[in-house]
Amino acid sequence: MKQVLLCGAMIVTLSMGIRHGFGLWLQPITMDRGWTRETFAFALAIQNLSWGIAGPFAGMLADRYGAFRVLIIGSLFYAGGLVLMALATSGLAFTGSAGLVLGLAQSGTTYAVVYGVIGRNVAPEKRSWAMGVAAAAGSFGQFLMVPVENWLIGSFGWQNALFLLGCLALAIVPLAFGLKEPPAAKATGFQQSIGSALREALSYPSFLLLMAGYFVCGFQVVFIGVHMPSYLKDHGLTPNVATTALALIGLFNVFGTYISGSLGQRMPKKYILSSIYALRSVAILAFISVPLTPSSVYVFASVIGFLWLSTVPPTNAVIAQIFGVQYMSMLGGSVFFSHQVGSFLGVWLGGRLYDATGSYDVVWWISIGLGLFAAIVNLPVREAAIVRPSPQAV
Amino acid sequence: MKLRRVAAWAGATLVLLLVFAAYLRPELAFTLASQLWNCF
Repeated sequence: MKQVLLCGAMIVTLSMGIRHGFGLWLQPITMDRGWTRETFAFALAIQNLSWGIAGPFAGMLADRYGAFRVLIIGSLFYAGGLVLMALATSGLAFTGSAGLVLGLAQSGTTYAVVYGVIGRNVAPEKRSWAMGVAAAAGSFGQFLMVPVENWLIGSFGWQNALFLLGCLALAIVPLAFGLKEPPAAKATGFQQSIGSALREALSYPSFLLLMAGYFVCGFQVVFIGVHMPSYLKDHGLTPNVATTALALIGLFNVFGTYISGSLGQRMPKKYILSSIYALRSVAILAFISVPLTPSSVYVFASVIGFLWLSTVPPTNAVIAQIFGVQYMSMLGGSVFFSHQVGSFLGVWLGGRLYDATGSYDVVWWISIGLGLFAAIVNLPVREAAIVRPSPQAV
Repeated sequence: MKLRRVAAWAGATLVLLLVFAAYLRPELAFTLASQLWNCF
C-alpha cells in the first residue's frame, strides 16, 4: 500500500504541477512567435476539453489493460507534447501539441487513473484517506511548480524550460512501475464488462447527482481562477494582492484536500460534499457583500482555497464505495468529464456575461446558486454498495 | 512514532511555507498577476 500511495502521490504531483504553470509561457511564446493571446488561450481551452473528453477512455484503458501501461503512454505523451509545444511555429501546431497532446497526456496521468490503483490496493477503511493524500500531493504539485517554472523560464529561457519539463514528465515512467498491479488484483469479485459498468453508472441516480456536483465544482473553481484577477483589478486592487491570493489558494488547497479525504473515513462523504458546496456559496456571498479590501481578498482566498479541490477525494471515494473498484478509473474519468464541461462554461460564461452586463455580479450569483444546488443534490446520494445479481444469475 | 509524525508534519509545513514565501518575491508576483491565471 505504501508503495502505491507514494508513487501515485508523486505521479499526480508531477502531472498536476507541470500543467498548472502553463500560463507563465503566455507572454514569452506569444512575443517570440508573434501570435495573439487568443492563439495561446485557444490551445489551453482545447487542452482542458481534450483532458475531460479523453478521461473516461483513458480510465477504460487503465481498468482494462492496467494503469501502469496508461501512465507510461501518458508520460510519453506529456514529454512529447512539451517538446512539440516548444518547437511549434504555427498556431495549428501549437494547438495540436499544447492543446490536444497535453490534454491526452493529462487524462492518462492524473487522478482518475491513479485513483483506480489506489482504490484496488488500499483497504476500504483507509481508501478515502489515501485518496486525500494523493489529492493533497496533486494540490502541492500545483502550488510548488508555479515558482519552479517561473525560475526555469528566467534561468534557461522559455524553450529550454519546456524541454526540461519534458524530462521531468518522463519521471512518471519509473514511478508507474510502483503502480503495476498483478492480474489477480483486478480479477476478484463481481465480473462485469466495461460497457455494462458504464451503463449501470449512467442509469444510477446517485452517479448522476455526483456528476452534477462535480460540474458545479469545475464551474466555480475555474471561473474564480480565471476571472478573479480582472475582478480585483476592476476594483482597484494591485497585482500583488492577486498573487498573494493565488498563493493562499494554493497553500490552503493542500490542507483542504487532505482533510476532506481524512474526514471521508469518519463520516458520510455526501455530507462532506454537501458542506463543501454550501460553504463555497457562503464564502462567495460574503466576499461580494463586504467592501473589497486586501484583507477580505486574503480571507476569501484562504477559505475558497481550503474548499478548492477538496471535492476530489470524497467524490471518488463514493464512486468506489457504490460501484466497487473494478472500473474505478473509467467512472472517475466520466465524472471528471462533467467537471471539465463546468470548467469550460465557468470561463466562457464569466467573459460573456461580463461583456453583456459590464460586471461579474451575475456570474457570482450564478456561482452561489449552483453551489446551493450542488449542496442539495449531494444529500440524496446513496453511498451503499450497489446491489447486483449474483454471478450465477448473470 | 508520535515524534516521527510530529516531525513529518513540521517538515511538510516548513516546505509549504517556503513555497508560499517564493510567491511573495516581487518579480514573481508581477509575472503571476499578469499571466498565470490564463492557465486554469
